[in-house]
Amino acid sequence: MKTAVPLAWKNLTHDRRRLAVAVGGIAFAVLLMFQQRGFNHALFDSTVEIVRELDCDLIMVNPARFALTNEIRFPTSWLEVAGSQSGVDSVEPLFMENLAARLRRDGKRARPIRVLGFNLDRPVLLDSRHEILSQINELREPNTALIDRLSKSSYGFELSANAEFPQLGELNGSRIRLVGTFQSGRDFAHEGNLLMSAENFETYFRYRGGDPLSLVDLGLVKVRAGTRTEEVLQSLRATLTNSVAVMTRQQFIDKEIAFWARNTPIGVIFMIGTLMGFVVGVIICYQILANDIAEHLGEFATLKAMGYGNKFFFALVIRQAVYLGLLGFIPGLGFSWLLFEFNAGMTGLLMQLSIPRVATILMATLSMCVVSGLLALRKLLAADPASLF
Amino acid sequence: MNQNQFDLAALIAAWEPAREQLSIQVEHLNHYYGDGEMRKQVLFDNCLKIRQGEIVIMTGPSGSGKTTLLTLIGTLRSVQEGSLQVIGSELNGVSAGTTTELRKKIGFIFQAHNLFESLTAFQNVSMSTELQGIASDLARPRIEATLRRLGLGQRVHYKPKSLSGGQKQRVAIARGIIHEPRLILADEPTAALDAESGREVVTIFQELAREQNCTILIVTHDNRILDVADRIINMVDGRIHSNVLVKRNATLCQILNGFPIFRDLTPQAISQVADKIDMRRYPIGSEIIRQGEMGQEFFVIGSGEVDIEVDGVQVNRLSQGAFFGEVSLVKQQPRNATVRARTDVVCFLLSKDEFQSVLDSSTTFEEELRKAIFSRQ
Repeated sequence: MKTAVPLAWKNLTHDRRRLAVAVGGIAFAVLLMFQQRGFNHALFDSTVEIVRELDCDLIMVNPARFALTNEIRFPTSWLEVAGSQSGVDSVEPLFMENLAARLRRDGKRARPIRVLGFNLDRPVLLDSRHEILSQINELREPNTALIDRLSKSSYGFELSANAEFPQLGELNGSRIRLVGTFQSGRDFAHEGNLLMSAENFETYFRYRGGDPLSLVDLGLVKVRAGTRTEEVLQSLRATLTNSVAVMTRQQFIDKEIAFWARNTPIGVIFMIGTLMGFVVGVIICYQILANDIAEHLGEFATLKAMGYGNKFFFALVIRQAVYLGLLGFIPGLGFSWLLFEFNAGMTGLLMQLSIPRVATILMATLSMCVVSGLLALRKLLAADPASLF
Repeated sequence: MNQNQFDLAALIAAWEPAREQLSIQVEHLNHYYGDGEMRKQVLFDNCLKIRQGEIVIMTGPSGSGKTTLLTLIGTLRSVQEGSLQVIGSELNGVSAGTTTELRKKIGFIFQAHNLFESLTAFQNVSMSTELQGIASDLARPRIEATLRRLGLGQRVHYKPKSLSGGQKQRVAIARGIIHEPRLILADEPTAALDAESGREVVTIFQELAREQNCTILIVTHDNRILDVADRIINMVDGRIHSNVLVKRNATLCQILNGFPIFRDLTPQAISQVADKIDMRRYPIGSEIIRQGEMGQEFFVIGSGEVDIEVDGVQVNRLSQGAFFGEVSLVKQQPRNATVRARTDVVCFLLSKDEFQSVLDSSTTFEEELRKAIFSRQ
């Protein structure tokens, strides 16, 4: 019946002021959920952001390394073994220092920073902005590095867009010249990043062993064009056996996130936060729907007397709940987006509003409204037409 | 006036409605509110038959059970004890599905208009046609016509906020009658209306009753509309105190008024007598009363002729409008004559108990009767 009276919509929108309050309430709940999920994702996303930026198909890592922060390395010689396998195009080392690396600017305290060292001739980061590539020659100089623009401001370096370089500092007591910036992001284990050549890396981290570059953190494997990644993965695993673990980039990311999710209360905390948002939303939505029903109890009872059955009322309330959810979701999404931008600026965390995440919150919003709709429906079904006389 | 005075043929024809003509049939209906210790009976052994097309006005003080009866008839409450048939369906033990279907054949008009503020008059009425599955292109002219007829032609697309109380009530009435229900249950439908609108509403009721054979049950205290009632039911303390078919009662009153013994009764008393009168048919040749038996009834001949026989000898002949059988009742003696149907006979009769109670209630009546009996001897 396309000309049917849109009772759910009419009832909802009849009183504009109340509709505004209702939509505001739902939007608030949506915002809460987005924030909680957003922070949750941001923490995980930020942790693996560096992995996402690696230009490789497969990653080699010490099997005992349960997380990036757990600095267990493997002998660089394994890279050559891997490189000689058929189907492998190239294998590049990535050196990382976190716990032992301390960056200091004059007059400031030294702070830990993550340092990434790589072969300048084979940049291992995707570098979509071509920032690294354009500054590669500066990095060839001794004692130079690029600093992550999103590094914490408490290092004391000027990192704004129009900041001038080089800026001078000290890394582990030795002079360092920051010749420019690149962009990665920080997470809850790392406050900033430095990027430098393997040669410079070697000079700063002598204590890594007799030859500082003899141990590598990650081996980045590129598969030859036309070869199936899965095949190469299997043959590498067969060759390297238990000495070095090999996995795809996505597997590495999943493992890393799983570690943080399982071994820290982050996931639980933010899930509770999200549930709070959900519950707040259910309460707000229920209040609105139940209020509307209470005010129209006489009318609904009349409809019952006329012969409208429970199915109709079920559909009516659910429709009203869904409308309410959609109406509240749109401004909620808008505000969330603004707040994400603000948060990302404040914390340097990656706040992403991807389509699947937006869809998830939309589903949560709709189910939130449907739940409260079902709660409110009981009130409506209890409406007694006999009381009308 | 005169031509109506002895419209006995119509009276007889209307007396015993065929079963299928019944719109509402209530038999020994009891109803209780509350449970256990708190259980309180609100309806006591009520019996009632209402024919299709009747306009019934129900009155009675608040708490008399009339609303309970109305909601039971409207399927809005479940029947607990007794039988209640509405539009051919027994409501005692009825399923929820049947109830919903039955409700679609009933038009409800409540004291409060209960219109959705968010919908226009037209849309509010559409809620009914949609439920009935009436296509919108068919419903549209019908709704507009009905609203126009109720004086809302200029207000079809107004929301209730822009309508006066009377106009809102008329929209509610339009919603209640738009689907041409078989039965309309109305609670004080004219209370909120001025005399003119109220009259318009009852006129519509009359038309619905006449044209569509729609039964209309109105609970009201508005005596301005009493004239449309075919039947007036008065409820007191959970019992149907009186149930009067107005026209029949009026005709019977006129008949009774024709006899000297009833002439001095007040209109109320005579109406009460008329109310208690039953009708019975006797085939040609049958004995209506037999000499020597104790008298049980008082008779008025509705049609046909009877012979009075004493000891087997015909002493008199009575025809339409005459009465007999009172002597034995008053004197508490056996019948002094046999009355035999000379043709097919229809009699209106009043039972001994009812007759006696009327007798007791009116000394004038008793005196009159004694005089009449005396003068006959």
